[in-house]
Amino acid sequence: MQVTSDVREPLVTGGKTLKDVTNDICRQVEGRPSRSWIIAFVLALITLAYGTYCLMMTWFVGLGLWGLNKTVGWAWDITNFVWWVGIGHAGTLISAILLLFRQKWRTSINRAAEAMTIFAVLCAASFILMHMGRPWLAYWTLPLGNTYGSLWVNFNSPLVWDVFAISTYLTVSVVFWYIGLIPDLATIRDRATNKVSRLVYGTLAFGWNGAAKDWSRFESVSLILAGLSTPLVLSVHTIVSMDFATSIIPGWHTTIFPPYFVAGAIFSGFAMVLSLMLITRYVFHLEDYITYAHIESMNKIITLTGSIVGIAYITEFFIAWYSGVEYEGYAFINRASGPYWWAYWAMMTCNVVSPQLFWIRSVRRSLLATFVISVIVNIGMWFERFVIIVTSLHRDYVPSSWAMFAPTRYDIGDYIFSFGLFFTLFLLFAKFLPVINMAEVKAIIKSASEPDPHAGSKASKLGGKEVEVTDSNH
Amino acid sequence: MSDSKKYLIGVYDDDTVLLEAIYAIRTKGVKVLEAFTPFPVHGIDDALGYKRSRLPIAAFMFGATGTTCAICLQVLTLGIDWPMNIGGKPNLAYPAFIPVSFEATVLFAALGMVGTFLVASGLGPGAQKTVFDPRSSDDKFVLVLDLEKNSKFSQEQLSLFLKESGASEVNDKEIIG
Amino acid sequence: MSNKVYWRGYEELTNDVEFVKNADKEFNLPAEYDPSNPSSSLENLSNNRRDFLKMLGFGAAAVSLAACETPVRKAIPFLNKPEEYDPTIANYYASTYFNEGEYCSVLVKTREGRPIKIEGNTLSSINKGATSAKVQASVLSLYDKERYTGPQASGKPSTWDVLDKAVSEGLSNAKAAGQKVYLVSETIVSPTTQKAIAEFATASGATHVQYDPASVDGILSANLESFGVRAVPAYDFSKAKVVVSFEADFLGTWISSTAFSRQFAQTRKLINGKKEMSRLFAFESIMTLTGANADYRKAIRKSDEGLYVLALYNALTGGGAVAGVKDAKLIEQAAKDLLDARGRSIVVSGSNDKNIQLLVNAINNFLGNYASTIDLGRPLLTKQGDDAKFASFINDLSGGSVGAVIFYGANPVYNHPDADAISKGLKSVPLSVSFADRPDETAVLSKFVAPDHHYLEAWGDASPKKGVYSLTQPTISPIFSTRQAQESLMKWVGRDISYYEYLKANWKSTLYSTQNWYNNFQDFWNYSLHDGVFEPSGNNPRKPADETLVASVGAAIVDAVAGNKTFNFAGDIPSATSAVTAEYGKGGDGFDLVIYESVAMGTGSQANNPWLLEMPDPITRACWENYLTLPKALAEKLGLKVKEGKTGLVTLTLGNQTIEIPALVQPGQHAQVVGLALGWGREVTGKAATKIGKNAFALLAKKDNRLQYFRTGAKIDGKSESYDIAHVQTHHTVMGRPVIQEAKFNEYLKKPNAGRYYPVVQTAEGEVPASTLSLWKAGSVNDRPNHSWGMVIDLNSCFGCGACVIACSSENNVPVVGKQEVLNRREMHWIRIDRYYSSDAKHGDFSAMEDPSDEPEVVFQPMMCQHCNNAPCETVCPVLATTHSTEGLNQMTYNRCIGTRYCANNCPYKVRRFNWFSYPKNNDYDYNVNNDLGRMVLNPDVTVRARGVMEKCSMCIQRIQEGKLNAKKEARRPVDGEIKTACAQVCPSEAITFGDMGDAQSSISKVIAEQKDERLYYMLEEINTKPGVGYLTKIRNKA
Repeated sequence: MQVTSDVREPLVTGGKTLKDVTNDICRQVEGRPSRSWIIAFVLALITLAYGTYCLMMTWFVGLGLWGLNKTVGWAWDITNFVWWVGIGHAGTLISAILLLFRQKWRTSINRAAEAMTIFAVLCAASFILMHMGRPWLAYWTLPLGNTYGSLWVNFNSPLVWDVFAISTYLTVSVVFWYIGLIPDLATIRDRATNKVSRLVYGTLAFGWNGAAKDWSRFESVSLILAGLSTPLVLSVHTIVSMDFATSIIPGWHTTIFPPYFVAGAIFSGFAMVLSLMLITRYVFHLEDYITYAHIESMNKIITLTGSIVGIAYITEFFIAWYSGVEYEGYAFINRASGPYWWAYWAMMTCNVVSPQLFWIRSVRRSLLATFVISVIVNIGMWFERFVIIVTSLHRDYVPSSWAMFAPTRYDIGDYIFSFGLFFTLFLLFAKFLPVINMAEVKAIIKSASEPDPHAGSKASKLGGKEVEVTDSNH
Repeated sequence: MSDSKKYLIGVYDDDTVLLEAIYAIRTKGVKVLEAFTPFPVHGIDDALGYKRSRLPIAAFMFGATGTTCAICLQVLTLGIDWPMNIGGKPNLAYPAFIPVSFEATVLFAALGMVGTFLVASGLGPGAQKTVFDPRSSDDKFVLVLDLEKNSKFSQEQLSLFLKESGASEVNDKEIIG
Repeated sequence: MSNKVYWRGYEELTNDVEFVKNADKEFNLPAEYDPSNPSSSLENLSNNRRDFLKMLGFGAAAVSLAACETPVRKAIPFLNKPEEYDPTIANYYASTYFNEGEYCSVLVKTREGRPIKIEGNTLSSINKGATSAKVQASVLSLYDKERYTGPQASGKPSTWDVLDKAVSEGLSNAKAAGQKVYLVSETIVSPTTQKAIAEFATASGATHVQYDPASVDGILSANLESFGVRAVPAYDFSKAKVVVSFEADFLGTWISSTAFSRQFAQTRKLINGKKEMSRLFAFESIMTLTGANADYRKAIRKSDEGLYVLALYNALTGGGAVAGVKDAKLIEQAAKDLLDARGRSIVVSGSNDKNIQLLVNAINNFLGNYASTIDLGRPLLTKQGDDAKFASFINDLSGGSVGAVIFYGANPVYNHPDADAISKGLKSVPLSVSFADRPDETAVLSKFVAPDHHYLEAWGDASPKKGVYSLTQPTISPIFSTRQAQESLMKWVGRDISYYEYLKANWKSTLYSTQNWYNNFQDFWNYSLHDGVFEPSGNNPRKPADETLVASVGAAIVDAVAGNKTFNFAGDIPSATSAVTAEYGKGGDGFDLVIYESVAMGTGSQANNPWLLEMPDPITRACWENYLTLPKALAEKLGLKVKEGKTGLVTLTLGNQTIEIPALVQPGQHAQVVGLALGWGREVTGKAATKIGKNAFALLAKKDNRLQYFRTGAKIDGKSESYDIAHVQTHHTVMGRPVIQEAKFNEYLKKPNAGRYYPVVQTAEGEVPASTLSLWKAGSVNDRPNHSWGMVIDLNSCFGCGACVIACSSENNVPVVGKQEVLNRREMHWIRIDRYYSSDAKHGDFSAMEDPSDEPEVVFQPMMCQHCNNAPCETVCPVLATTHSTEGLNQMTYNRCIGTRYCANNCPYKVRRFNWFSYPKNNDYDYNVNNDLGRMVLNPDVTVRARGVMEKCSMCIQRIQEGKLNAKKEARRPVDGEIKTACAQVCPSEAITFGDMGDAQSSISKVIAEQKDERLYYMLEEINTKPGVGYLTKIRNKA
């Protein structure tokens, strides 16, 4: 436990006590759903329903309902896949990497961020299924042999790497998230007034009783999981980027992709977390837990990653020219000046220009600006993937095969499906599980919040000793 | 089994006080059964004299297993069981095996370690561990003494110790187990 | 007709007792089936408890299998196998295709009694094994579900007895009433049919009128006037060093283009040590295959054609310049080259104007070509239409003096400009009969339809050229209640004949006697039928011991057709000259409309053929309709926005005729010329083709009764409506990329690898060839212990005709997907012929490089799976659905494919095709594979691909397998040339060499050995895919 410094802003405002934390956060779990929540949930369900209809059509009638053709074999499907995976990176990143860096400000956002990760990865996975010509055979991508003997999968194929990466990532994220939930579930269980919730949360709480021994195990587990998730989260988008980097298509075959994709993922992920947290914060009145300090530090990371992505774009261009490869060079000239120039420049504006506004402190700390820019960034990141995929494919080596791609209502509908899925899941989470990690917030409340009337005196009295204790611990 | 166990429960309002209390009480030679807190209190395991968790070793073992399995799987399927000409690459194109091996390592390590943790702490779906004071998951810090284990002190002495060490209240609890 | 059931075996047809008995049983093979005792059937089985348990067990197994597999369709086995064929073994029957004046001697591949593929007959001296797209597609026309299922009387199904009675009466009435009786047909190339017609004519007093929708009456009359022979001479382009073509698309559609391509290709090949090459000059108004393959091409105005021909004549004979010929440079150069190649040159014109053809004859005569490259002694008989006669028929028809008219393979109501007069006239004719085997514009107006067999169901013969004969034999028993036309004719004049006997008798009486190396008729007949051709003077494979005998026999025939007679030119040049100068160069400021035959549709008799409808035009790369081809300047003037296949509608006005039609910008077209293809706009035909495109026949003009295939004074107005034309290629230039490598002939002579591009990469060791760099050590995976299949394609002899595309579709069950899907860029063809125009823009100005130049050079590049040894598609497939065989083939495992399309994305050649929908049995794609009859054309050796899987060229793996098995049965290695892919087999110009690169003696190994440091290159060598398909550089014989 560090001693509160005067420079650092409080991470929890409003002089909250431990009790307040519990009450504030359990409130929306225990109370009846608010009107705004119900409205939002109904909207989400409607979206999901329409999306499901489109999805069923593409599955029953055929992928021909999409705008793809012999030249452009991937477009919205893989664009959306990469986009969602990218978004799915923030959660683990926040909870893992920031945990390793002991960034205490992460505590009040990591829970929701991790949930978002899981749902985003689910959406991404749905596109892996969707884009297959014969999705009912998706399990053939697992090393199961086959009915006629030993026909295995192709471990040289980046798609198989994807299968392993995405499934591992999903599993580990779920585990990480759930382990973190256990103590809070126990809290809810112990506060539960009616049988049902006592039973349900009791089961979910795995019988947790907050014993010091369990806490110490719990902490090392979280620490190791964080240690594992950090390389994992980096590997996932690296592998996704290899779908393109290991191919031979000009504009795809690029060694810069892994770092560039990871940066992009963090970029879009943080943007999405911001958009969602700003809404949650407003809806559930969590202003004291998600403070300007949080928003500001997230914005700083967005500016950083945004700039990295921008540099990547420019580097690509330079290398394309410097390599002296005719096809490579044309691929990039075509991106910026070909039929899809608008997509390219949309990407540039949204991803490279807009985050630079965060250099201005007032913008950085303005809720509205933050929200708008975070949305813009996600639009931009969607365009990035579209540009990479479509503009590289539609004019590759042999001019006779050059073609254009235009989305159909089913391309759009299947994208809408993923939104429906995502928001439905997220709203359910927000209603029935604590959106903020109570245990962790409690752990920092004294060090990181305004002086606490109850514990203040003793804390100061014993201040010195703890520091040693903590030090011996680190 | 009808034999009952009696416990003495000290309830504290603040983690630092709790820490102090543990030190104080343990120096008096009282055996502390366990402390229950709403959040991980730093230094409490030192105070209670707990050793460092061996979970990291478990994690490493599981991870190693994962790597081995993955590499074996890939070599066996592509190299031995049915070698095929895939894009003119050698049957065992090792660089291509790295991603899967890595993912398997992480997966095994994570699941294995978490599993070990749940087993070791006796946690799991539907598991019910004794909750001495429900507030311990809210804002109270609870210190539990097993009377049998501290038979050389009388219950009064013990509750006195607890009060002295700053417990806001002291209750006794009998569990028929 | 929808509830009609098609027989699946002779038993069903003949209602075989065994068959009927077992047809309803699920397992009609006895459990212990004894091949030696075919009569053993379920009856002999004692159903005791054990059998019951067996059945039970099997039932359970079957059910559980059926649960996870597609249900097994019932198949009735032969209980008594017809001795002439074995299930799964293909039988080949020699036969003859003749339609729209196109002749090909063919081999028909049949499986289980179904013709499924047409192959060229190598024994024929005419087409020498080559076939065209239309010939390849003809097998599908057999299975057109919209054919007449039986005789029709006034539009309703009738019976043969009723029809015969009515027709015979009608004929005798007409005779009695002294009215004229007409038998109207397109050119009849069959001697026996002509005999039958003659007999019918004498008996019924009928007049036989032949006409050709693509008329060459001008040539016929010109030759009559010049040499006293009303015939098309036999050209031999293989002997020509210089060829000059005025509007004659002899590589695409003109007269006998398939044979001509084969001949001309001989002069373009620069392999096997051959270092000389012909030179082709093309003067044409629109871009044709001939112009596209010409070394020198000049876009001329159609209405100036005569002047250019005259200019050439003058340039040769030292006459003066011709007024109206601006810039005669190319004419002079052509003249110079022609004079250098006297007797080894050919000048042709596609004009149907007698005067122009007279001048052309004069030129060829002056150059002494008649002795060598042009043979009038043994002329072609494939075009005999007489426009004048046909005109008189129309007069009589309109005059109402016609008592009966019979249409035999003729559809003038569609394919003649006087269609209105004819259809009006027909109403008043008491008796009108059509032999059409499927509905057409004329048949529906005729009182009776006596459907003829499709040629694959019929007996027949043909004499495409004096002294060359071939036979047509049935390869399937008639699918519908149709009847051989000749038999009908005879029946109506009261003679009951079997045309088969009639044919035999005729051959016995006429041809058998002309030879004497078969000493009994049966042998003569059997061998001729087996070979398909009888060419006493040609290179008959079964020569007798005594060569001189052949010579004498040949001589006999040749004399019979006055072969050795020398022809003295007797044409009246001055009058022709004055006529030409008077009539040409009068185009005015209107546009010339040029009406041409398209390679796919010809004159439209096979319009309802999905394969042909979806065949991209070799030049425009568009399909599924015809369109008005515009010069770029005009398009700009009309403000037409043309991008990615999107274009606009224009109105074409000619006098009082106006049609609205989509426009297509065609580089290389003369600025005052617009073009429109024949063969489209059928009013009455099958579902697929009815009312698709516009009928250009209605726009034909006539000059002294001869059809003229152009009109002057056309007016074109733009319309605001936009329109989509289905293109398979929307980018027309090669963007300066080395995918095409070409050189000029003289450069090539100096440096055999001229024009080759060798990619290099900078490394620490300096520049190294790109192909030498690899992440992997050269392992053993690419060893080829047995065969190593590969292909070499000679860009210099590929003329782009597209026959391979249809042959491939036919061989590999490639589905037809329809216009909308082609618009979506989802055509399924496994082989495509990329067509590139040259661009004037300088390299680097990419947007300008996308525009073809106005007078572009053209190159065709057949493109199919390159079977890369380092295949990018294989590496990325997650489920190993595409892997490499030990024989160097990139193999696609359809039933393992899950359809991620990663392979297609990663294919640098973009040759993979994805099944976006389920095309068979899908009413949204109601083409041949959507009905039982149409599906009979499917090749049983090739999987019909399911929805959601990837497919691509397999190098006809099933043919390779067949060849290997045949060789194995005879315990030998496959012989070079024994195994040919469908595309290599069909190619008229033999541009595709397929074979075993492991066999040093194979022709492909020889070509590779000879050319590897010269013309041989592989696509995109820089990305190191190591393709198994190589290309030989394009060489242009120009300075």
